[in-house]
Amino acid sequence: MVALNSRFLLGKYREAFVVDGKGENPIKAIFTLMLKFGLIDGLLTASKDGNSPRLIFKAEDVEIPVRNSCFGVNALLKKAVQKYRLSRLAVFGPACTFDGLNKTQYFGIGCNWTKTAVALKISFLCPGVLTDTAFLSEVVDITGKRAGVSRFYFQKGKLHYQLKTGEEITVPPSFHHRYVNSACRYCLNLSGKGTDLTAVYLKERDKVLLIVRSERGLSTLAQVQRSSPSTLYFRKADRKEVESLISFLKEKVILNITDIIERVELGLPVPKWNDNKLRKFYRLWNSIDVNSEEEVF
Amino acid sequence: MFYRDKLSFEDEEFKLKVGFLHFSSCSGCQVAFFDMFEEAVEILDTVELVYSNMLTKRRDLPRMDVAFVEGALCIEDPHHLHLVKELQKKAKLIVAVGGCASFGGVRRLSCGNQLPQPQHQSFVPITEVDLVKPKVKYAIPGCPPNPSLLYSFLLALLEINEDFLLPFELMTFSTRASGMDIFVEVVNKGFCVGCGTCSTACPTRAITYNYECSRPAFNPGLCVYCGSCLAACPQSFKPYPQPTYT
Repeated sequence: MVALNSRFLLGKYREAFVVDGKGENPIKAIFTLMLKFGLIDGLLTASKDGNSPRLIFKAEDVEIPVRNSCFGVNALLKKAVQKYRLSRLAVFGPACTFDGLNKTQYFGIGCNWTKTAVALKISFLCPGVLTDTAFLSEVVDITGKRAGVSRFYFQKGKLHYQLKTGEEITVPPSFHHRYVNSACRYCLNLSGKGTDLTAVYLKERDKVLLIVRSERGLSTLAQVQRSSPSTLYFRKADRKEVESLISFLKEKVILNITDIIERVELGLPVPKWNDNKLRKFYRLWNSIDVNSEEEVF
Repeated sequence: MFYRDKLSFEDEEFKLKVGFLHFSSCSGCQVAFFDMFEEAVEILDTVELVYSNMLTKRRDLPRMDVAFVEGALCIEDPHHLHLVKELQKKAKLIVAVGGCASFGGVRRLSCGNQLPQPQHQSFVPITEVDLVKPKVKYAIPGCPPNPSLLYSFLLALLEINEDFLLPFELMTFSTRASGMDIFVEVVNKGFCVGCGTCSTACPTRAITYNYECSRPAFNPGLCVYCGSCLAACPQSFKPYPQPTYT
């Protein structure tokens, strides 16, 4: 039986910190400092609303998506690596962005020599991405009112939206599950395994829970801290803070697994080269433990 | 792996004999292969290039362990027909390199059955020729495939890295792969996450990114049927060593 434990849900990690940006989004501050001090030569991410990809070269231009919407980031990968010859690129996006990027790095398909071009990968904990219209419908479904979403965050194991009207709402996973991108309903990597750092947005705009997965992630944070000691304040995350996150992930992953099983039972097709990924999962669901191999390139 | 049935790595003399065969194509795949530059130096002590229409002077086809084949077979060209028979006899393992050899590539757009104009001839990818099909073990997509992909592939072949090689083995079973596959195999089946990897992989900009619906947009008129998009898509096969279910 696949155990829905921390190892499966959150993945292998070294440390978890709560980072205080003192008035500024800590992830934005990290990228700004890295660009300013030449630790990276470009940032590949999406716009603030997540609807279009952005390739950023200057510290003053840094913007990062703050909603659970982030599309098309890898569409600019070739431009970054081959046209602008960036060799110390930082990438910020949801886990699926890194599935594409890691695959490009591992196999070399798509974009040449990407393996050596990426200096840092930061994912955000993704409860499933939505388009603008899906956000509107979801908010109408929950509140009965029509309003856009300005940001999302996690608090005590619950997903919350801050609306453009200023109102804050709690989003039940069962509601949320209906409106997310259909591919997100089969996703088992919500926490961004395979990246250096995973950022979890918290209620305070200037705080994130940062899950450090790799040595590179840890040393990058140390470098950033050394270059500007007064910008970011780190505190080790409490066990409760991580556990509340795991309880949210468990709730969401159970919904996803139910959908995978339903899809297989219905006999819905899977891509021709994927070696029956979903069916294999279904077949082995009750008999084996997961062989968790994680690699950051 | 039958290409080293009688040889082992313990044998100090072991050198993998590779050849590069050219059928109907622009030779871009072979150029990409030789474009590995300094990375190629790392594997030169274990690999011997025994045949290449660009780099070796041999006219006859020697015996080889691995034959990398670029281009599609032209049915009207007697030289190609002779070459494919020779290939069947001389190569232990065949790797179809690039869109033309693997999935037909741009040759799928030819519209005739006679010499001499290429657009008037008829072509089939090497993966469709029954005579050599049992020996075609891997197909590498791309137009041309990236040198980094070819380098990683050659390394995986030498190390017998089955995890790396498996997807390329699966690709030999599909004789057609185009940008439309991104829609049929991924978008229509509800697997597209809108990451944009397919559009970055497309060499001809047949696949672009539609920002309005956050999905790829496909222009069939520009597609050269190289299969890069489907191969690059993180949803088409297991992306890289990560949590697996085996």
